[in-house]
Amino acid sequence: MNEGLGRHHKLESLLARVLDQGAWLASGVIAVGWTMVAGGWRASWVINSGVALFLLLPVLRVVIMLVVFLRERDYRFSAITALVLSIIVLGALLGIHMT
Amino acid sequence: MASGIFIVPVLVSFGGVGIRTAVAASIVSVIACSCGSAAAFLRAGLTNIRIAIVLETATTLGALTGVFLGGLLPPSVLFLLFAAILLLSARQMLVARQREAAPAAPLEADSADWATVLKLHSSYPEGSLGRPVHYRVHRVPLGLALMYGAGLISALLGIGSGVLKIPAMDTALRLPIKVSSATSNFMIGVTAAASGVAYFALGDINPLVAGPVAIGSVIGALLGARFLMAVSGERLRLFFVVVLLVLAVQMLLEAFGMHLGRRS
Repeated sequence: MNEGLGRHHKLESLLARVLDQGAWLASGVIAVGWTMVAGGWRASWVINSGVALFLLLPVLRVVIMLVVFLRERDYRFSAITALVLSIIVLGALLGIHMT
Repeated sequence: MASGIFIVPVLVSFGGVGIRTAVAASIVSVIACSCGSAAAFLRAGLTNIRIAIVLETATTLGALTGVFLGGLLPPSVLFLLFAAILLLSARQMLVARQREAAPAAPLEADSADWATVLKLHSSYPEGSLGRPVHYRVHRVPLGLALMYGAGLISALLGIGSGVLKIPAMDTALRLPIKVSSATSNFMIGVTAAASGVAYFALGDINPLVAGPVAIGSVIGALLGARFLMAVSGERLRLFFVVVLLVLAVQMLLEAFGMHLGRRS
Protein backbone atom coordinates (compact mmCIF):
# COMPACT_ATOMS: atom_id res chain seq x y z
CA MET A 1 0.00 0.00 0.00
CA ASN A 2 2.33 2.74 -1.11
CA GLU A 3 0.97 4.81 -3.98
CA GLY A 4 -2.55 6.12 -3.46
CA LEU A 5 -4.74 5.55 -0.46
CA GLY A 6 -6.75 2.55 -1.50
CA ARG A 7 -4.41 0.08 -3.19
CA HIS A 8 -3.88 -3.43 -1.78
CA HIS A 9 -1.24 -4.88 -4.09
CA LYS A 10 -0.77 -8.29 -2.42
CA LEU A 11 -4.50 -8.84 -2.02
CA GLU A 12 -5.09 -7.89 -5.66
CA SER A 13 -2.67 -10.51 -7.00
CA LEU A 14 -3.95 -13.16 -4.55
CA LEU A 15 -7.54 -12.57 -5.71
CA ALA A 16 -6.45 -12.71 -9.36
CA ARG A 17 -4.83 -16.11 -8.76
CA VAL A 18 -7.84 -17.51 -6.89
CA LEU A 19 -10.32 -16.39 -9.58
CA ASP A 20 -8.16 -17.70 -12.42
CA GLN A 21 -7.36 -21.12 -10.97
CA GLY A 22 -10.83 -21.56 -9.50
CA ALA A 23 -12.42 -20.93 -12.89
CA TRP A 24 -10.20 -23.58 -14.49
CA LEU A 25 -11.04 -26.08 -11.74
CA ALA A 26 -14.80 -25.47 -12.00
CA SER A 27 -14.69 -25.67 -15.83
CA GLY A 28 -12.74 -28.91 -15.59
CA VAL A 29 -15.25 -30.51 -13.21
CA ILE A 30 -18.17 -29.49 -15.44
CA ALA A 31 -16.39 -30.82 -18.54
CA VAL A 32 -15.71 -34.18 -16.83
CA GLY A 33 -19.34 -34.39 -15.66
CA TRP A 34 -20.64 -33.54 -19.09
CA THR A 35 -18.45 -36.20 -20.72
CA MET A 36 -19.72 -38.77 -18.20
CA VAL A 37 -23.36 -37.85 -18.87
CA ALA A 38 -22.73 -38.04 -22.63
CA GLY A 39 -21.24 -41.49 -22.06
CA GLY A 40 -24.44 -42.67 -20.41
CA TRP A 41 -23.44 -42.31 -16.75
CA ARG A 42 -25.82 -40.76 -14.24
CA ALA A 43 -23.41 -37.99 -13.43
CA SER A 44 -25.39 -34.78 -13.46
CA TRP A 45 -24.29 -34.41 -9.83
CA VAL A 46 -20.71 -33.95 -11.09
CA ILE A 47 -21.85 -31.10 -13.34
CA ASN A 48 -23.77 -29.70 -10.41
CA SER A 49 -20.61 -29.73 -8.27
CA GLY A 50 -18.81 -27.76 -10.97
CA VAL A 51 -21.66 -25.26 -11.09
CA ALA A 52 -21.54 -24.99 -7.29
CA LEU A 53 -17.77 -24.38 -7.49
CA PHE A 54 -18.39 -21.48 -9.88
CA LEU A 55 -21.01 -20.03 -7.51
CA LEU A 56 -18.68 -20.36 -4.51
CA LEU A 57 -15.68 -18.77 -6.24
CA PRO A 58 -16.84 -15.14 -5.80
CA VAL A 59 -17.99 -16.01 -2.26
CA LEU A 60 -14.48 -17.30 -1.51
CA ARG A 61 -13.14 -14.02 -2.88
CA VAL A 62 -15.28 -12.10 -0.35
CA VAL A 63 -14.12 -14.40 2.49
CA ILE A 64 -10.45 -13.76 1.55
CA MET A 65 -11.10 -10.00 1.57
CA LEU A 66 -12.70 -10.32 5.01
CA VAL A 67 -9.67 -12.17 6.40
CA VAL A 68 -7.27 -9.60 4.95
CA PHE A 69 -9.24 -6.60 6.25
CA LEU A 70 -9.44 -8.21 9.70
CA ARG A 71 -5.68 -8.83 9.68
CA GLU A 72 -5.10 -5.19 8.72
CA ARG A 73 -7.35 -4.24 11.65
CA ASP A 74 -9.52 -2.34 9.19
CA TYR A 75 -12.70 -2.98 11.15
CA ARG A 76 -14.88 -0.66 9.10
CA PHE A 77 -14.13 -2.58 5.91
CA SER A 78 -14.31 -5.90 7.76
CA ALA A 79 -17.87 -4.97 8.73
CA ILE A 80 -18.77 -3.93 5.17
CA THR A 81 -17.32 -7.19 3.79
CA ALA A 82 -19.13 -9.23 6.46
CA LEU A 83 -22.37 -7.50 5.43
CA VAL A 84 -21.91 -8.58 1.79
CA LEU A 85 -21.21 -12.13 2.97
CA SER A 86 -24.32 -12.19 5.17
CA ILE A 87 -26.52 -10.96 2.31
CA ILE A 88 -25.31 -13.89 0.17
CA VAL A 89 -25.90 -16.35 3.02
CA LEU A 90 -29.35 -14.83 3.61
CA GLY A 91 -30.22 -15.50 -0.05
CA ALA A 92 -29.18 -19.14 0.32
CA LEU A 93 -31.20 -19.55 3.53
CA LEU A 94 -34.29 -17.90 2.03
CA GLY A 95 -33.94 -20.12 -1.03
CA ILE A 96 -33.69 -23.32 1.03
CA HIS A 97 -36.56 -22.19 3.24
CA MET A 98 -38.84 -21.56 0.26
CA THR A 99 -38.40 -24.96 -1.38
CA MET B 1 -17.81 -7.77 -23.66
CA ALA B 2 -20.95 -8.97 -21.93
CA SER B 3 -21.86 -12.38 -23.33
CA GLY B 4 -24.53 -13.00 -20.71
CA ILE B 5 -26.98 -10.79 -22.54
CA PHE B 6 -27.09 -13.23 -25.49
CA ILE B 7 -27.60 -16.41 -23.48
CA VAL B 8 -31.18 -15.97 -22.23
CA PRO B 9 -32.68 -14.89 -25.59
CA VAL B 10 -30.94 -17.77 -27.39
CA LEU B 11 -31.93 -20.39 -24.77
CA VAL B 12 -35.54 -19.22 -24.70
CA SER B 13 -36.02 -18.71 -28.45
CA PHE B 14 -34.03 -21.63 -29.83
CA GLY B 15 -33.51 -23.98 -26.88
CA GLY B 16 -37.14 -24.14 -25.82
CA VAL B 17 -36.05 -23.49 -22.21
CA GLY B 18 -38.31 -21.66 -19.72
CA ILE B 19 -37.19 -18.16 -18.83
CA ARG B 20 -36.50 -18.99 -15.15
CA THR B 21 -34.21 -21.90 -16.09
CA ALA B 22 -32.55 -19.78 -18.77
CA VAL B 23 -31.91 -16.90 -16.33
CA ALA B 24 -30.48 -19.24 -13.67
CA ALA B 25 -28.19 -20.94 -16.23
CA SER B 26 -27.07 -17.60 -17.60
CA ILE B 27 -26.09 -16.38 -14.12
CA VAL B 28 -23.61 -19.28 -13.83
CA SER B 29 -22.09 -18.30 -17.19
CA VAL B 30 -21.86 -14.69 -16.09
CA ILE B 31 -19.69 -15.80 -13.16
CA ALA B 32 -17.68 -18.14 -15.37
CA CYS B 33 -16.87 -15.37 -17.84
CA SER B 34 -16.23 -12.67 -15.26
CA CYS B 35 -13.54 -14.67 -13.40
CA GLY B 36 -10.96 -14.59 -16.17
CA SER B 37 -11.40 -10.94 -17.08
CA ALA B 38 -11.61 -9.86 -13.43
CA ALA B 39 -8.25 -11.57 -12.82
CA ALA B 40 -6.69 -9.77 -15.80
CA PHE B 41 -7.95 -6.36 -14.62
CA LEU B 42 -6.66 -7.05 -11.08
CA ARG B 43 -3.21 -7.87 -12.44
CA ALA B 44 -3.24 -4.64 -14.44
CA GLY B 45 -3.88 -2.76 -11.18
CA LEU B 46 -7.05 -1.11 -12.50
CA THR B 47 -9.59 -2.55 -10.04
CA ASN B 48 -10.54 -0.52 -6.96
CA ILE B 49 -11.46 -3.33 -4.56
CA ARG B 50 -12.52 -0.93 -1.80
CA ILE B 51 -15.14 0.73 -4.02
CA ALA B 52 -16.17 -2.74 -5.19
CA ILE B 53 -16.92 -4.13 -1.75
CA VAL B 54 -18.78 -0.98 -0.68
CA LEU B 55 -21.00 -1.07 -3.79
CA GLU B 56 -21.47 -4.84 -3.49
CA THR B 57 -23.58 -4.31 -0.38
CA ALA B 58 -26.08 -2.67 -2.75
CA THR B 59 -25.67 -5.00 -5.75
CA THR B 60 -26.10 -8.19 -3.67
CA LEU B 61 -29.16 -6.80 -1.91
CA GLY B 62 -30.56 -5.83 -5.32
CA ALA B 63 -29.74 -9.34 -6.57
CA LEU B 64 -31.76 -10.98 -3.78
CA THR B 65 -34.66 -8.65 -4.51
CA GLY B 66 -34.40 -9.64 -8.18
CA VAL B 67 -34.46 -13.40 -7.51
CA PHE B 68 -37.59 -13.22 -5.39
CA LEU B 69 -39.29 -10.57 -7.53
CA GLY B 70 -38.60 -12.72 -10.59
CA GLY B 71 -40.78 -15.46 -9.14
CA LEU B 72 -43.70 -13.04 -8.90
CA LEU B 73 -43.52 -11.30 -12.28
CA PRO B 74 -45.18 -12.88 -15.33
CA PRO B 75 -42.70 -13.93 -18.06
CA SER B 76 -44.10 -11.32 -20.46
CA VAL B 77 -42.91 -8.51 -18.17
CA LEU B 78 -39.43 -10.10 -18.01
CA PHE B 79 -39.31 -10.33 -21.81
CA LEU B 80 -40.31 -6.66 -22.13
CA LEU B 81 -37.64 -5.66 -19.63
CA PHE B 82 -35.11 -7.78 -21.50
CA ALA B 83 -35.99 -6.07 -24.77
CA ALA B 84 -35.49 -2.67 -23.11
CA ILE B 85 -32.04 -3.66 -21.78
CA LEU B 86 -31.04 -5.00 -25.21
CA LEU B 87 -32.06 -1.72 -26.84
CA LEU B 88 -30.15 0.21 -24.17
CA SER B 89 -27.05 -1.94 -24.86
CA ALA B 90 -27.38 -1.33 -28.59
CA ARG B 91 -27.60 2.41 -28.01
CA GLN B 92 -24.60 2.33 -25.68
CA MET B 93 -22.65 0.43 -28.30
CA LEU B 94 -23.45 3.05 -30.97
CA VAL B 95 -22.55 5.99 -28.78
CA ALA B 96 -19.01 5.13 -27.68
CA ARG B 97 -18.03 6.34 -24.28
CA GLN B 98 -16.37 9.72 -24.64
CA ARG B 99 -15.81 11.26 -21.30
CA GLU B 100 -12.10 10.79 -20.72
CA ALA B 101 -11.63 14.51 -20.22
CA ALA B 102 -13.80 14.85 -17.14
CA PRO B 103 -13.74 18.23 -15.46
CA ALA B 104 -10.87 18.29 -13.01
CA ALA B 105 -12.19 17.21 -9.63
CA PRO B 106 -11.92 19.75 -6.84
CA LEU B 107 -8.88 18.82 -4.82
CA GLU B 108 -10.29 20.04 -1.54
CA ALA B 109 -13.53 18.09 -1.38
CA ASP B 110 -15.26 18.39 1.97
CA SER B 111 -13.52 15.92 4.21
CA ALA B 112 -16.77 14.50 5.59
CA ASP B 113 -17.93 12.89 2.33
CA TRP B 114 -18.32 9.11 2.22
CA ALA B 115 -15.52 8.46 -0.24
CA THR B 116 -13.00 10.24 1.97
CA VAL B 117 -14.17 8.57 5.17
CA LEU B 118 -14.04 5.15 3.49
CA LYS B 119 -10.67 5.91 1.82
CA LEU B 120 -11.96 5.13 -1.67
CA HIS B 121 -9.77 7.64 -3.52
CA SER B 122 -6.95 5.83 -5.24
CA SER B 123 -4.68 5.67 -8.26
CA TYR B 124 -4.11 3.42 -11.24
CA PRO B 125 -1.13 2.89 -13.54
CA GLU B 126 -1.69 4.68 -16.86
CA GLY B 127 0.39 2.95 -19.53
CA SER B 128 0.41 5.90 -21.92
CA LEU B 129 1.79 8.23 -19.23
CA GLY B 130 4.12 5.76 -17.55
CA ARG B 131 3.04 6.90 -14.10
CA PRO B 132 0.08 6.40 -11.75
CA VAL B 133 -2.94 8.65 -12.18
CA HIS B 134 -4.68 9.72 -8.98
CA TYR B 135 -8.43 10.05 -8.87
CA ARG B 136 -11.12 11.05 -6.39
CA VAL B 137 -14.47 9.33 -5.92
CA HIS B 138 -17.73 11.24 -5.80
CA ARG B 139 -21.36 10.77 -4.76
CA VAL B 140 -21.16 7.33 -3.15
CA PRO B 141 -24.82 7.33 -1.93
CA LEU B 142 -26.07 7.90 -5.49
CA GLY B 143 -23.72 5.16 -6.67
CA LEU B 144 -25.18 2.77 -4.08
CA ALA B 145 -28.74 3.50 -5.21
CA LEU B 146 -27.88 2.90 -8.88
CA MET B 147 -26.01 -0.30 -7.98
CA TYR B 148 -29.04 -1.65 -6.15
CA GLY B 149 -30.95 -1.27 -9.42
CA ALA B 150 -28.12 -2.88 -11.42
CA GLY B 151 -28.05 -5.87 -9.04
CA LEU B 152 -31.80 -6.26 -9.31
CA ILE B 153 -31.77 -6.27 -13.12
CA SER B 154 -28.78 -8.64 -13.14
CA ALA B 155 -30.62 -11.24 -11.04
CA LEU B 156 -33.96 -10.74 -12.79
CA LEU B 157 -32.58 -11.20 -16.32
CA GLY B 158 -29.47 -13.32 -15.74
CA ILE B 159 -27.05 -10.74 -17.12
CA GLY B 160 -23.89 -9.17 -15.75
CA SER B 161 -25.53 -5.78 -16.28
CA GLY B 162 -22.24 -4.04 -16.93
CA VAL B 163 -24.45 -2.04 -19.30
CA LEU B 164 -25.94 -0.41 -16.17
CA LYS B 165 -22.98 -0.61 -13.78
CA ILE B 166 -20.41 1.14 -15.95
CA PRO B 167 -22.51 4.26 -16.74
CA ALA B 168 -23.53 4.41 -13.08
CA MET B 169 -19.87 4.46 -12.07
CA ASP B 170 -18.96 6.93 -14.81
CA THR B 171 -21.65 9.43 -13.93
CA ALA B 172 -22.21 9.03 -10.17
CA LEU B 173 -18.74 8.22 -8.86
CA ARG B 174 -16.95 9.97 -11.78
CA LEU B 175 -14.30 7.25 -11.97
CA PRO B 176 -11.75 7.10 -14.79
CA ILE B 177 -13.11 4.84 -17.55
CA LYS B 178 -10.50 2.12 -17.09
CA VAL B 179 -11.17 1.94 -13.36
CA SER B 180 -14.95 1.78 -13.77
CA SER B 181 -14.70 -1.00 -16.38
CA ALA B 182 -12.35 -3.04 -14.19
CA THR B 183 -14.25 -2.47 -10.95
CA SER B 184 -17.62 -3.20 -12.56
CA ASN B 185 -16.21 -6.46 -13.89
CA PHE B 186 -14.90 -7.39 -10.45
CA MET B 187 -18.33 -6.76 -8.90
CA ILE B 188 -20.22 -8.78 -11.52
CA GLY B 189 -18.98 -12.09 -10.06
CA VAL B 190 -20.16 -11.43 -6.50
CA THR B 191 -23.46 -9.92 -7.66
CA ALA B 192 -24.14 -12.96 -9.84
CA ALA B 193 -23.04 -15.29 -7.02
CA ALA B 194 -25.60 -13.72 -4.65
CA SER B 195 -28.44 -14.49 -7.06
CA GLY B 196 -26.84 -17.72 -8.28
CA VAL B 197 -26.61 -19.17 -4.76
CA ALA B 198 -30.27 -18.26 -4.17
CA TYR B 199 -31.33 -19.81 -7.53
CA PHE B 200 -29.28 -22.90 -6.64
CA ALA B 201 -30.99 -23.20 -3.23
CA LEU B 202 -34.38 -22.75 -4.90
CA GLY B 203 -33.54 -25.61 -7.28
CA ASP B 204 -33.83 -23.42 -10.37
CA ILE B 205 -30.42 -24.36 -11.77
CA ASN B 206 -30.64 -27.29 -14.17
CA PRO B 207 -27.10 -28.73 -14.41
CA LEU B 208 -27.75 -30.15 -17.86
CA VAL B 209 -28.48 -26.63 -19.14
CA ALA B 210 -26.20 -24.53 -16.92
CA GLY B 211 -23.09 -26.76 -17.24
CA PRO B 212 -22.78 -26.85 -21.04
CA VAL B 213 -23.72 -23.16 -21.30
CA ALA B 214 -21.01 -22.21 -18.77
CA ILE B 215 -18.33 -24.22 -20.59
CA GLY B 216 -19.50 -22.84 -23.92
CA SER B 217 -19.27 -19.27 -22.75
CA VAL B 218 -15.81 -19.73 -21.20
CA ILE B 219 -14.56 -21.12 -24.52
CA GLY B 220 -16.49 -18.40 -26.34
CA ALA B 221 -14.85 -15.72 -24.20
CA LEU B 222 -11.38 -17.13 -24.90
CA LEU B 223 -11.95 -17.36 -28.66
CA GLY B 224 -13.87 -14.07 -28.68
CA ALA B 225 -10.94 -12.15 -27.23
CA ARG B 226 -8.68 -13.40 -30.06
CA PHE B 227 -11.35 -12.70 -32.67
CA LEU B 228 -11.98 -9.18 -31.37
CA MET B 229 -8.35 -8.25 -31.84
CA ALA B 230 -8.34 -9.45 -35.45
CA VAL B 231 -11.46 -7.60 -36.60
CA SER B 232 -11.84 -3.86 -37.08
CA GLY B 233 -13.62 -2.15 -34.21
CA GLU B 234 -16.10 -0.22 -36.30
CA ARG B 235 -17.52 -3.19 -38.22
CA LEU B 236 -17.61 -5.29 -35.07
CA ARG B 237 -19.60 -2.65 -33.26
CA LEU B 238 -22.16 -2.48 -36.06
CA PHE B 239 -22.39 -6.27 -36.07
CA PHE B 240 -23.12 -6.34 -32.32
CA VAL B 241 -25.68 -3.55 -32.66
CA VAL B 242 -27.53 -5.54 -35.32
CA VAL B 243 -27.46 -8.72 -33.20
CA LEU B 244 -28.72 -6.82 -30.16
CA LEU B 245 -31.56 -5.29 -32.19
CA VAL B 246 -32.58 -8.67 -33.62
CA LEU B 247 -32.63 -10.19 -30.12
CA ALA B 248 -34.65 -7.22 -28.84
CA VAL B 249 -37.28 -7.85 -31.52
CA GLN B 250 -37.27 -11.54 -30.59
CA MET B 251 -37.82 -10.71 -26.91
CA LEU B 252 -40.66 -8.33 -27.81
CA LEU B 253 -42.31 -11.11 -29.82
CA GLU B 254 -41.92 -13.50 -26.86
CA ALA B 255 -43.47 -10.87 -24.59
CA PHE B 256 -46.55 -10.88 -26.78
CA GLY B 257 -46.66 -14.66 -26.99
CA MET B 258 -45.26 -15.10 -30.50
CA HIS B 259 -42.51 -17.66 -30.99
CA LEU B 260 -40.30 -17.54 -34.06
CA GLY B 261 -37.48 -19.93 -33.33
CA ARG B 262 -39.38 -23.00 -32.22
CA ARG B 263 -42.51 -24.82 -33.19
CA SER B 264 -45.08 -25.14 -30.41
